[in-house]
Amino acid sequence: MPQTSTLLSPELLARLEKMELVSRKIFRGRMKGERRSPRKGQSVEFADFRNYVPGDDLRFVDWNTYARLEKLFLKMFLEEEDLHFYALIDASSSMGFGQPTKLRYAAQLAAALGFIGLIRSDRVKIETLDQPQREAAPIFRGRRSLWRMLDYLEGIEPGPPVSLAEGVKNFCLRNSGKGILVLLSDLMDKTGYEAALRYLVSQDLDVYVVQVLSAEELEPEIQGDLRLIDCEDDDVAEVTVSGPLMKRYKQTLAAFVESAREFCTRRGMSYLLARNQVPVEELVTGYLRTRGLVR
Amino acid sequence: MWPNLTSMLTWWQWAILATVPPLIVLLYFLKLKRRPLEVPSTYLWHKSIEDLHVNTIWQRLRRNLLLFLQLLVIFLAMAALLRPSWQERRLTGDRFIILVDNSASMQATDLRPSRLEDAQRKAVDLIDQMKSGDVAMVISFADSARVRQNFTDDRRLLRQAVEAIEPTVRPTSLLEALKVASGLANPGHIAADERDVQVAEALPAKLYIFSDGRFGPVAGFSLGNLEPVFVPIGEPTAANVGIMAFNVRPGEANPELYQAFARLENFGSEEVHVEVELYRDLPAAGHPLGGGDRLIDAADVTLPAGETRGVAFDLESVESGVLELRIKSGADDHLSVDDQAWTVVSPPRPIRVLLVTPGNEPLELALRTDAVKEIAEVTVQSPKFLKDKQYAEKAVGGAYDLVIYDRCAPQEMPRANTLFIGRVPPRPPHGAVPGWSAKPKVVGPQLLPVSTPHPLMQWIDLRDVKLAEGTPLEVPPSGSVLIDSDVGPMLVIAPREGFEDAALGFVLLDEVTGPDGKTEPYVGTNWMTRQSFPVFVLNLFDYLGRGRDMLASGGLQPGQPVVLEGPTATARLQVGTPAGREDDLKGGNLGKFNFTDTEELGPYEVRCEGKTLRWLAVNLFQPAESDIRPDPQPVIKIGYVEVEGQLGWEAGRRDIWKWLLLLGLAVLLLEWYIYNRRVYL
Repeated sequence: MPQTSTLLSPELLARLEKMELVSRKIFRGRMKGERRSPRKGQSVEFADFRNYVPGDDLRFVDWNTYARLEKLFLKMFLEEEDLHFYALIDASSSMGFGQPTKLRYAAQLAAALGFIGLIRSDRVKIETLDQPQREAAPIFRGRRSLWRMLDYLEGIEPGPPVSLAEGVKNFCLRNSGKGILVLLSDLMDKTGYEAALRYLVSQDLDVYVVQVLSAEELEPEIQGDLRLIDCEDDDVAEVTVSGPLMKRYKQTLAAFVESAREFCTRRGMSYLLARNQVPVEELVTGYLRTRGLVR
Repeated sequence: MWPNLTSMLTWWQWAILATVPPLIVLLYFLKLKRRPLEVPSTYLWHKSIEDLHVNTIWQRLRRNLLLFLQLLVIFLAMAALLRPSWQERRLTGDRFIILVDNSASMQATDLRPSRLEDAQRKAVDLIDQMKSGDVAMVISFADSARVRQNFTDDRRLLRQAVEAIEPTVRPTSLLEALKVASGLANPGHIAADERDVQVAEALPAKLYIFSDGRFGPVAGFSLGNLEPVFVPIGEPTAANVGIMAFNVRPGEANPELYQAFARLENFGSEEVHVEVELYRDLPAAGHPLGGGDRLIDAADVTLPAGETRGVAFDLESVESGVLELRIKSGADDHLSVDDQAWTVVSPPRPIRVLLVTPGNEPLELALRTDAVKEIAEVTVQSPKFLKDKQYAEKAVGGAYDLVIYDRCAPQEMPRANTLFIGRVPPRPPHGAVPGWSAKPKVVGPQLLPVSTPHPLMQWIDLRDVKLAEGTPLEVPPSGSVLIDSDVGPMLVIAPREGFEDAALGFVLLDEVTGPDGKTEPYVGTNWMTRQSFPVFVLNLFDYLGRGRDMLASGGLQPGQPVVLEGPTATARLQVGTPAGREDDLKGGNLGKFNFTDTEELGPYEVRCEGKTLRWLAVNLFQPAESDIRPDPQPVIKIGYVEVEGQLGWEAGRRDIWKWLLLLGLAVLLLEWYIYNRRVYL
């Protein structure tokens, strides 16, 4: 291999090659892909017959049947088409926390899923929330685009804070097509994540919300009288960390996660909580498989 | 029941302590500088705090829990410093002997109002604790002990007895008090014979000794049934400057000029500056000594801690009277009784000497020296004078201070000191008292070197003195040998009813009748040609002529009896005490009176028929009493038993400050735990 990337290990790549992305929705790809579509189309795989109506392409008339039954039937084949896979990464500075950082974790996850898409000739598009509206993100297709995609992912740095709703809205405006969208974010938006997710509901997208949280957020190991400073808006919270406060924080966190899960479930979105301590391969080959995103 | 509070701090220490709690609160608010920490998002934290803000008061309380605990620790410490205590019945035993020291050092004011009153308060506390049926006795002691109240269960009597104890200016002796206490507590000890019937049963008793412990170990005493408890009285900060000696003597440079000489000692732990003032004490208005300025001289003295300094004042204008020395020191002098001293300057009176001799030129020569002339009036008479009526009157009337009998002896001893040369004093006419006697004459006795420190033998060297013959003397009862020889004593001195008699066992000069019937001078010794002879004569005048008494008298101790002598055998004496009381002395014997009422410090005036006869000065001069610094580890040793002082003893007092401090420590631990473990209510 001419290039190396730390985002995906060779072993993981080997495992991912056997997988493919699954969409629960029927949608049309723009190009012919490797994917059998429920739509009837041109492929080698037979699907059904139907009566000929004038105007049909005579090339698909089943002449053998006509010879036997003297009725014109049209042979229908399964269409093979491509899948649009979008990964929308929240690259705000809050994603720069954790070991590995949440952003890197999100990038790894996006890389793994994008790779699955690439090897199935799907159309892979990776964007960040702060993507300028006029500037289109590169589209990757085919295995040979892997290194380009990894390079692109490696190049994502924590950037200026962008409202989740704003970012998602911009994304929706730019990409009107159908497909699978994986939103990788910590959902820690003071204005709430609900507006952002609602935008996605209105799109005809198969949405996976992956909430990436670091160990520092899940199990904070802090003590004493602290002035907590928000890295995005410099908001200050003065706390005296104590047992009850920690308990309260964990309750709040659990409630927050639970409400996000419920919000997504109710709107037909898949929700997944990703801890940055869980290896990506485990997440992809384990959780995402059971959730049906990959097969 | 409210506890008794005894502050262990002074007001300014309290003031400093009072600033601590506000300081803690202040520091708490200053401390709330929180450590900044960058987090991905404060979103969840805000939500968590919002929930907690609902019960804000609780929240504030919780947040300040450490503050409250710190304040609690401080308040517990302050409460402990107040030394709260409860009176508690804790007396064990049912017989108590209360010994209260009322010696001079107990007048020290390091404990307000005085040590004695502190001791009395503690003793009364003890009496208040007695159960009904308990008996106690009260003894006060200084150099002698006095039973103030015998064993009784009447607490009112006991209290009165304790409160009636007055301070004295006497030194301390515990032994007297112990003997009295033991005699009453251990009746068996006073039974002289085994067959004696014990009328009282020996019962164990608790002996409470309230004293500052300014006395040495008590030797030769067994406590027996007594169980001693020593309650030391006194503060470690006690300091004192006292006058340890004060007298008048001829100046060293100019013997004509008298000097008042005082010795001061600092019994404190710090250097002090004192002003010493010398006054002429004027007893009464209109007295011949009166008039003029009282203050004669003053001096500033710096006394390093624990050291002694002498002060000398030249006395140019003072010929007689009483001198008073006062120390003016600051508030740090806790004992005032030793800040004053008195000495008496008597007008020098010539010594009246009668020499009865058949003729003794060397001796007469020695009595005619200038030095003798200055101090003495010498009358020389022949032995015939002894038969004279005039002699009898003068001898019995005490007209002479010293009578020297050279080779003769009177029928009766005169009322004067005597020296017999070559004779011994006559035996008293009646009575079986063994008197003077001499052994047979011995030829060529060898004198032994002088070994006695007697004043008569001062500066006398007899190594070059030879005797032709001598009669060794028998030493009468309580007499002492001054000159000894290989055959027996050659000079002996012995007391006689307030006088002293000396006898020389050899003659200086004599006449012998030769075989031809002519009398020839006989020289018995070469002493007269030696330097030591005139010195001996001076010593004789100085000692037996009472030359010292002429100058000054300051050496009476409080309580010490003194024999006062009237001018005639029938005179009556009055004594004016320093307090202004007039004592008429009675019961005198041949013009001699025993005066015992010397309890007060100061000058005593002895008068006869309105005329001042002499002065007496009573001074403390007791380093053991002036040194009022208490022992840090007070122990008194009685026989072989060491009794440790019960520091901080209070009758039946139950202190709880230790518990308060322990509680404070527990709170401190709790605070530490809470701080470290972040445990909240």
